[in-house]
Amino acid sequence: MVKKKIKAKKVKVNLNKKAQLKIQQMAFMLMAVIIFFVLVGMFVLTIRFSGLKKSATLLEEENAMLLVSKLADSPEFSCGESFGTRKANCIDADKAMMLKESIEKYSGFWGVSNIEIRKIYPKSQSEIICDRLNYPNCNIIRLISGEVSGVGVSNFVSLCRKESSEGYNYDKCELAKLVVSYEEK
Amino acid sequence: MKRGDLQISFSWIFAIIAGIFILFLAIYGVGKLMGMQKTQTGLETGKEIGILLNPLETGFETGRTTSLTIPAETRIYNNCFDNEGVFGVQKITISQKSFGEWAIPESGVNFRNKYIFSEEITEGKKFHIFSKPFEFPFKVSDLIYLTTAEKIYCFSGDIPDDIIEELSGLQQENLKTENCPENSINVCFSSEQECDIMVNYNAGIVEKGDEEIYFSGDTLMYAAIFSDTGIYNCQLNRLMQRVKQLSLLYKNKADFISQRGCYSNLNSDLAVLENSAGTFSGNLGSISALAEEIKDKNDMANCKLW
Repeated sequence: MVKKKIKAKKVKVNLNKKAQLKIQQMAFMLMAVIIFFVLVGMFVLTIRFSGLKKSATLLEEENAMLLVSKLADSPEFSCGESFGTRKANCIDADKAMMLKESIEKYSGFWGVSNIEIRKIYPKSQSEIICDRLNYPNCNIIRLISGEVSGVGVSNFVSLCRKESSEGYNYDKCELAKLVVSYEEK
Repeated sequence: MKRGDLQISFSWIFAIIAGIFILFLAIYGVGKLMGMQKTQTGLETGKEIGILLNPLETGFETGRTTSLTIPAETRIYNNCFDNEGVFGVQKITISQKSFGEWAIPESGVNFRNKYIFSEEITEGKKFHIFSKPFEFPFKVSDLIYLTTAEKIYCFSGDIPDDIIEELSGLQQENLKTENCPENSINVCFSSEQECDIMVNYNAGIVEKGDEEIYFSGDTLMYAAIFSDTGIYNCQLNRLMQRVKQLSLLYKNKADFISQRGCYSNLNSDLAVLENSAGTFSGNLGSISALAEEIKDKNDMANCKLW
């Protein structure tokens, strides 16, 4: 009788151990399945976000390309009729210099990282960034200070200003490149 | 255990519960991803529309027109905020119809240099966009008028000749001066007609139902016709914020070029305009007269500022 009881107890202990083992197996299996799904999810998200970055960069590029062709006609840059008749793709250098001094108000206004006007003809030997002291004996009007980063797209424009000589005023126009930069995402 | 009882082991129950949980997570994840996809498409379309408006910047033209066709039925939400930053914000939010239901518009795209005049929600597949420079007295910006191809505007009555010429020159399908179809929106220039929109051209008032919108010049007249009152007032406030900054820019330019002996004598007038634009409260009458006066002075100046 006692022997039978001991045997039954042993069987019960064995069964308990088996059940515990099965629960452990199941728990490990479940963790593996969850980790698998998390990894798959992360993979899908990575692919999606890389596509998102690509399309964001493409849109930035498109914006810069379309903007550069029309920016010279926007009121902050355009010559209007101050140099005779109304001209297309003509930048008023005097106005651009004043804009440079209040550019912090225009932060994010055109949705590009920088705008630069580079005089290309007549050609000069060195690159001189314009400020109030050296203007007009300079060849780059950089609208934001510091180094330009990102990718630049450009368009040819005329860069006009008021000049005076021996008490007479005259208009002086030179050939320049309008460069619009955008950041790659 | 009795015979006939359902024998389900613990591991089966556990597997079923875990399976349901995992399936629920997967369905939830897919739902979220689809929502994200809709938001992304909306944002991309909004940005794309904003970018496509760049070529509408006018040089010496008096107006430009283009049309935009989107493959799916689309709603363009026009939101204007005149108290954000120096120039206010133009927000475009897109919602597209999928499986017969409109997606909830979540986030939009902001532009600071655009002024879109339209109804708060413009719906359709094809949209007409027409732009016109706003000069006050210098060029301030190009105003963009957005309309759906589904709404036809019929201009009638004593329309000034230059408006008829401009409208026919634009060749925009939904702006008509003759052969108007039924159900078109009647824009009348004479009070004796039955109108949806009444334009009192000489007084500078556009009447829409019980509302009166004041305008000055053709550019703002079109803005008043095509947009909701709220949008019009907000965009007008934003335009005045730009007038203020441009007045300051021209004032600084006048000082700058005077060092080279080029005088325009407009500094004090520009200071008044800057102040009036800064404190603008909807009264166009006095500020328009001031702008007109400054325009005449600039035209006569030795050194023109614009």
